[in-house]
Amino acid sequence: MRGMNLRGIGANIVVKLRCFYRETTAMFFTIAFPIILILVFGTIFMSQDNVAYHLCLQDLDQTKSSVDVVKTLEEKGKFKITRVDPAVDAAQYVRDSRVNLVLVIPKGFELSLMQRMIFNNLKASVTITYIYDPSSSSVATKMEILNGVLAGINQEMSGKPPFARSVEKSILAKKYRFIEFFIPGIIAMAVMTLSLFGTVDLDTELRQKGIIRKLSTTPITRSEWILSSILYQFILAVISTIAMLLVSYAVFDVNLHIDAWLLMFILLDVFAFVGLGMILTRFAKEAQSAAAASNAISYPMMFLSGSFFPIELMPEFLQIFAKTLPLYYVNEGLRAAMVFEDNMAALRYAAIIGVFAAVVFILGIVASKWEEDQ
Amino acid sequence: MATETDYAIEVDKLTKRYGELLAVDGISFTVGKGEVFAFLGPNGAGKTTTVEIIETIRRPTSGKVILLGMDVTKKKHDIVHRIGVLPQGFSSFDRITVRETLQYYAQLYRARSADIDGLIGLVNLHDKAGEQYKNLSGGLRQRLGIAIALVNDPEIVFLDEPTTGLDPHARREVWEVLQGLKVKGTTVFLTTHYMEEAELLADTVGIISKGKIIAMGSPGQLIMDNANYQVLTLQSVDDHAFEILRKSGFEPVHANHSDIRIRVEPTDDVLKILNSIKDAGTVYHGLDVRRPNLEEVFLKLTGEALSDGSAGER
Repeated sequence: MRGMNLRGIGANIVVKLRCFYRETTAMFFTIAFPIILILVFGTIFMSQDNVAYHLCLQDLDQTKSSVDVVKTLEEKGKFKITRVDPAVDAAQYVRDSRVNLVLVIPKGFELSLMQRMIFNNLKASVTITYIYDPSSSSVATKMEILNGVLAGINQEMSGKPPFARSVEKSILAKKYRFIEFFIPGIIAMAVMTLSLFGTVDLDTELRQKGIIRKLSTTPITRSEWILSSILYQFILAVISTIAMLLVSYAVFDVNLHIDAWLLMFILLDVFAFVGLGMILTRFAKEAQSAAAASNAISYPMMFLSGSFFPIELMPEFLQIFAKTLPLYYVNEGLRAAMVFEDNMAALRYAAIIGVFAAVVFILGIVASKWEEDQ
Repeated sequence: MATETDYAIEVDKLTKRYGELLAVDGISFTVGKGEVFAFLGPNGAGKTTTVEIIETIRRPTSGKVILLGMDVTKKKHDIVHRIGVLPQGFSSFDRITVRETLQYYAQLYRARSADIDGLIGLVNLHDKAGEQYKNLSGGLRQRLGIAIALVNDPEIVFLDEPTTGLDPHARREVWEVLQGLKVKGTTVFLTTHYMEEAELLADTVGIISKGKIIAMGSPGQLIMDNANYQVLTLQSVDDHAFEILRKSGFEPVHANHSDIRIRVEPTDDVLKILNSIKDAGTVYHGLDVRRPNLEEVFLKLTGEALSDGSAGER
């Protein structure tokens, strides 16, 4: 049994890293692209964490009681309120001012309130009207918040303590923000694209240039070449992940748990997608078709496996589909490790992606050939 | 166990089939140690397929290839340490410099003692040692390819069309390197489109056509056996001479607008031709009598001219 040609493996890694380092555009897209994604989406999600909805309100009653209701809405619903002149037509106002909702407190609000409170007249009630534009996406959320505040007011007026109360008890050690959910997904996705496209691009280029043919006449073996490719992609993945984490900590002050699981999932991610890349390179005749096949595989994975948003937001059939995608298990595994600090879940996901990676990688080795023909 | 023989390469009944196509049809030949062997053939003749089987890149369908006493299909790992290969259409990593490229290949061979500077000097790339591959011209790239093929100090060097696509100056520079190898006693297996190259460098020439070896021998022997005549060229001669020669039983051909070329077998014919032209009062402004070259041998044997194309072949 011959020993591994470690010098050869090292030489391959160094030569590839040199090529990468000197190819500035490739380096920019590999390192900078995921960081740009983090900055863009991070900024959007950060503002959502401290969201205050804008509410237009028309007070037709103009009494102390109606003003109190407005105050309650401001405090409990965290609305920024714009007052609409009682003289204008609220529906017309919605159309003209391009706002999506106007809440109307009717005339006689205080009077009805007095009748209910002082004379206990159960027939006395008021109707608060929401005039809204159903095509706006945030209107449903606003109405839900408003209903909640109004239910609270009704409950208080009944004078009896509420029967069912709710207490929030998170199963997580700490509360996490959306950005913390998002970053493991971006790491999983970035490592996938890096490994898949890196393998396909480099292998087809080297094959077309005849470098693989030349290498097959040297003592480096196919398995040593593949091992050096894996290690090279792993080094790039680690560099890219460190860059993403540094930006996330510096800009968004994220709170993520970093331990050996992170390295483990990066490694499995690399194995799975380098293996897939090797299979594609073998079966795609032209460089373009290999690139097209990588796109066809990576795009659905990027958008449907829950890298950018939780798959629970998708229809059920897509959720089932998402669970067939290997990237889903890397996403969830990284979240289990970095966000939820759940080792058992991380182990479960690692086992699934590990089996996938092993199968694909073995197929990749079988598929990739040193010799030029059968 | 490798058995040492006098031959560097022994090819025995080698066949290679691609589906229905028989690319190499049971060829046998040997190359002695220290010999420069030129392998010639038109495009698609099976030249590169044969070389790539010998170089361990492809596997034969049947037959045997023994390199330095070892079977290429069984001892690939031992063989690759002792051979150096410049594949057809050689290319390297774009952004790696000449020196780094040589260091890289030396490491693949675990050749700690590789004399990188010596190799750079051998192929005259001192000024370009720090230049990235993508900035090198075609000739410089081929010279680097040859240096790479020598990085493990091989006993046999395979050079598959090392000068195809190079300008005459660059070609001559590559020849100088090859002559240096010949002096050093390295066995060189050369495939080429250029007869001049084969004539200048080769001890033995093998010609392959349609998957079969059709001639083998030293350049002089091949010419003697296949083209034992002289070629007389008359320069700037008028049309009248052409007719006179035809009537005298010769077979003149137009070489270019005012030159004619005549194949003469007994040397006496040269005098006969000159006399008949003189008697007819026709003038010529120059003449040239020369021995045929390998190009003519090749043309006679294969019925095809060697093309100077850079197109690859199977």
